[in-house]
Amino acid sequence: MMDQELTHLIKMTNQIAAHCAPGEPSSVAADRAANHLTRFWAPSMRFQIKGYLLEDGSLLDDIAKDAVSRLA
Amino acid sequence: MLQYFDPRQCSNPEIDYGTPSAQGVLVSLTIDGRTIEVPEGTSIMRAAMLAEIKIPKLCATDSLEAFGSCRLCLVQIEGRRGLPSSCTTPVEQGLVVQTYNPRLALVRRNVMELYISDHPLDCLTCPANGNCELQDVAGEVGLRAVRYGFEGENHLAAERDTSHPYFSFDASKCIVCSRCVRACEEVQGTFALTIDGRGFDSKVAAGQDESFFDSDCVSCGACVQACPTATLMEKTVIEQGQPEHSVITTCAYCGVGCAFKAELKGDQVVRMVPYKGGAANQGHSCVKGRFAFGYATHKERVTTPMIRDSIDASWQKVSWDEATTFAANRIRQIQQEYGSDSVGGITSSRCTNEETYLVQKLVRAAFGNNNVDTCARVCHSPTGYGLKATLGESAGTQAFDSVEQADVIMVIGANPTDAHPVFASRLKRRLRAGAQLIVADPRRIDLVSGPHVQAGHHLKLLPGTNVALINALAHVIIDEDLQDQRFIDARCDLEAFARWRAFISEPRNAPEALSAALGVPAETLRSAARVYAKAGNAAIYYGLGVTEHSQGSTMVMGIANLAMLTGNLGREGVGVNPLRGQNNVQGACDMGSFPHELPGYRHVSDDQVRQVFEASWGVSIGAEPGLRIPNMLDGAISGTYKGLYCQGEDIAQSDPNTHHVEAALRNLDCLIVQDIFLNETAKYAHVFFPGASFLEKDGTFTNAERRISPVRRVMQPLSGKADWEATMAFSNALGYPMAYQHPSEIMAEIASLTPTFSGVSYQRLDQEGSLQWPCNDAAPSGTPTMHVDQFVRGKGYFERTEFIETEEKVNRRFPFLLTTGRILSQYNVGAQTRRTANIGWHEQDLLEIHPHDAENLGINDLDAVQVASRAGETVLTALITDRVQPGVVYTTFHHPESGANVVTTDNSDWATNCPEYKVTAVHLKKVERPSDWQTEHRAFTETQVSLLTQATKRALDETA
Repeated sequence: MMDQELTHLIKMTNQIAAHCAPGEPSSVAADRAANHLTRFWAPSMRFQIKGYLLEDGSLLDDIAKDAVSRLA
Repeated sequence: MLQYFDPRQCSNPEIDYGTPSAQGVLVSLTIDGRTIEVPEGTSIMRAAMLAEIKIPKLCATDSLEAFGSCRLCLVQIEGRRGLPSSCTTPVEQGLVVQTYNPRLALVRRNVMELYISDHPLDCLTCPANGNCELQDVAGEVGLRAVRYGFEGENHLAAERDTSHPYFSFDASKCIVCSRCVRACEEVQGTFALTIDGRGFDSKVAAGQDESFFDSDCVSCGACVQACPTATLMEKTVIEQGQPEHSVITTCAYCGVGCAFKAELKGDQVVRMVPYKGGAANQGHSCVKGRFAFGYATHKERVTTPMIRDSIDASWQKVSWDEATTFAANRIRQIQQEYGSDSVGGITSSRCTNEETYLVQKLVRAAFGNNNVDTCARVCHSPTGYGLKATLGESAGTQAFDSVEQADVIMVIGANPTDAHPVFASRLKRRLRAGAQLIVADPRRIDLVSGPHVQAGHHLKLLPGTNVALINALAHVIIDEDLQDQRFIDARCDLEAFARWRAFISEPRNAPEALSAALGVPAETLRSAARVYAKAGNAAIYYGLGVTEHSQGSTMVMGIANLAMLTGNLGREGVGVNPLRGQNNVQGACDMGSFPHELPGYRHVSDDQVRQVFEASWGVSIGAEPGLRIPNMLDGAISGTYKGLYCQGEDIAQSDPNTHHVEAALRNLDCLIVQDIFLNETAKYAHVFFPGASFLEKDGTFTNAERRISPVRRVMQPLSGKADWEATMAFSNALGYPMAYQHPSEIMAEIASLTPTFSGVSYQRLDQEGSLQWPCNDAAPSGTPTMHVDQFVRGKGYFERTEFIETEEKVNRRFPFLLTTGRILSQYNVGAQTRRTANIGWHEQDLLEIHPHDAENLGINDLDAVQVASRAGETVLTALITDRVQPGVVYTTFHHPESGANVVTTDNSDWATNCPEYKVTAVHLKKVERPSDWQTEHRAFTETQVSLLTQATKRALDETA
């Protein structure tokens, strides 16, 4: 079973991707979501979500995937 | 000639001028040979008082309009017949007034004689002795005898009403001046009191001639304050006598930030009296601030530091040194084992600015990370995010005074009469003067319909549809061309506006398209939008019904959009006004309590800002954001986050999804709780630092209008240390030295590091009473209204606000929506108010349910009802009421055993993680017994209380 923390991070990432630039082209939305994650998420959280994208990533929506892949 | 420009703020709050101030052109008149100029509309009584001529009076007081009933303030005016009352007679150019001559003296003495002929002459044993206007005036008019005797019909045997826990009503002492009745009407706006009967039978009656406790009295204390005799008197004064000195301080309950005179004998507070000079409350109060201060000396206060190795062990009472060393060692061990980022802190919105500042400084400088957050996370974090993005500053735009200029007031997701009662009274006063009211709330709050207040529109939307509402309103304004295009062109980012305009104009944002989702008829939405756009000055006041949603930040941006769209920003009477829940939630946010921001809302990634703090603090500060409260709890469960310093917050009760919070707290290796009581969170703690109530320390609070007000110590800290001293001791034990001698030194440091605070100092606060930030060289007297000529961010930014439904939806398994709120007599988790007589008004949290739903489920009033969500279940007592709409249930969360947050989920605002307290899909079922959680909670509480009692006993044994 996936740990609760990662479940929350995936949910939050999808939520941010969906809400932070609705209606904008997906690349703009992904960019803004990545920026949001950089400005508001602790590095440990970003590290985990990046790890998840590399290992699996299936529960991340498309814009969320794109956003996470843009994280430094 | 003396000239009086007489605005409210220039008069002396210690003097009763008899009637309110007026504003108008100056007119000159002569009173007792002295010529003075005062504004037109001023009464002769007030003009005389301004010239330091005191006219005897009983029914007049300057918080109320003139009434002219007592006939003591009569004066003689040259060229006029009779003896007019000076309170009801306005000044006129050239009047020549005499306030004293033999004729006036005789009439006054005769009037006074009549009053005293029906008044008990027990002055020496009367609780008002030493503070009785009737006694004073009898002295002033020189009454020496009562010729009528006391044998005739009188009221001396009238019954006393002692039903109220905080004051008594002794009708035998009443002079029927109506000050109490008028205070209830004019100041409080409740209209609970009336004069019953006529002529000699006239008497003050509460409600429908009920006892005060049973009536619709809201216990604000305005009547007690207004009473010139001992008729309405605080029970504490009856028991203890008149106070002998007083200290002006700021209330520690809600975000209104009322100024109070703490009136004392020695270091015992006898009563708290609202201070007329307080800019936020102007002499008014509510039941909490006025009366519910007894918690500060409650027997359950924990006043000794305590430690223990595990949460199953009994507490050990130790010295401050031992406690701070123990805590510091544990934190350092954890950091060695799990890394520097495995610990963090939570600052309190209940503590002072200086104290929250110190905790975030301790986390950043001594813990060496940015893992600091504050309880604003769970209430107004979306306000900070949304207003910063659109307007450029994370704060409300107006002073409370602004409401007096509003023509239409829109209240969204706030319940001011319960949660911000003193502001609600000002708001209602404006409504009675003719302003229009729009209420957007799933529930029929008191403001919707009350004495002389009626909302023109009650938009009874379904929980979770706020953004649809704000979009529909904005759509109408564009659709019907009601926007203030000149304002937009001059003040806003036009590219963003064009994009937003295209979005909002789409047919899917029309009221007709959104009406079904909202549960509000399209025509009602259109009509409300027209009222908001066309009325002139339109002001929005909002609360946690806006922020505590998965789209909380989006909704805040939608509100800002609506205000910009109609040009309702940058002047008095308008604006975007978040009503803050806690006394210092604004201040806690200002002070750098968020993991991504240093004091003054500056992002930690800003090198220049960081360097300023690094130079002052002598440490390096991380450029990356730290963990927020929900992230800390997740980390605790997964085992990466191990130590927490929690200052004055009860996350075990106040945060959502209690099961999750409890599991996280149990997983911590070191939980340090600083509080005045062993709260729910402290039951999981390893270290307890005893906190100090607001009466025990100096500092400042910042209220919802950005007003920084002084908090002044009236008694020694019961634990020996105020909270700022406890944090300093902990920091010193951690090896990061702090050596402030007084909170004023902490404020000086804040001012030196924070541009919006650079003009703030204790000296200036003493001079001005309070200051609204930004307060600096550009605004030396502070800033009542923000964004006057331009927005803080430069151009106002229209953010696109797509309505995206929450994932928390009803289905066949969970067919009802639960929403939560507060009640007047209680405050948040209830730790304070439950420990006062306020408990008499709210012995338990109730589940409000619509009669139709109750009938379908076979639920009767006071039945036990199981409320189950995807997160957990609890059992509450039913209250059947049509305040809620069918399909929606409502409860408060003031009692820990209610477990309201066992039911709420970990859904949260997309931008800030502010929990979605306001929407939980639930299943309801009539049951016979408490939930498993409640049974376990009771057992756990019993265990923890016994572990505390053992510590108390052991300490006693050791001292014996």
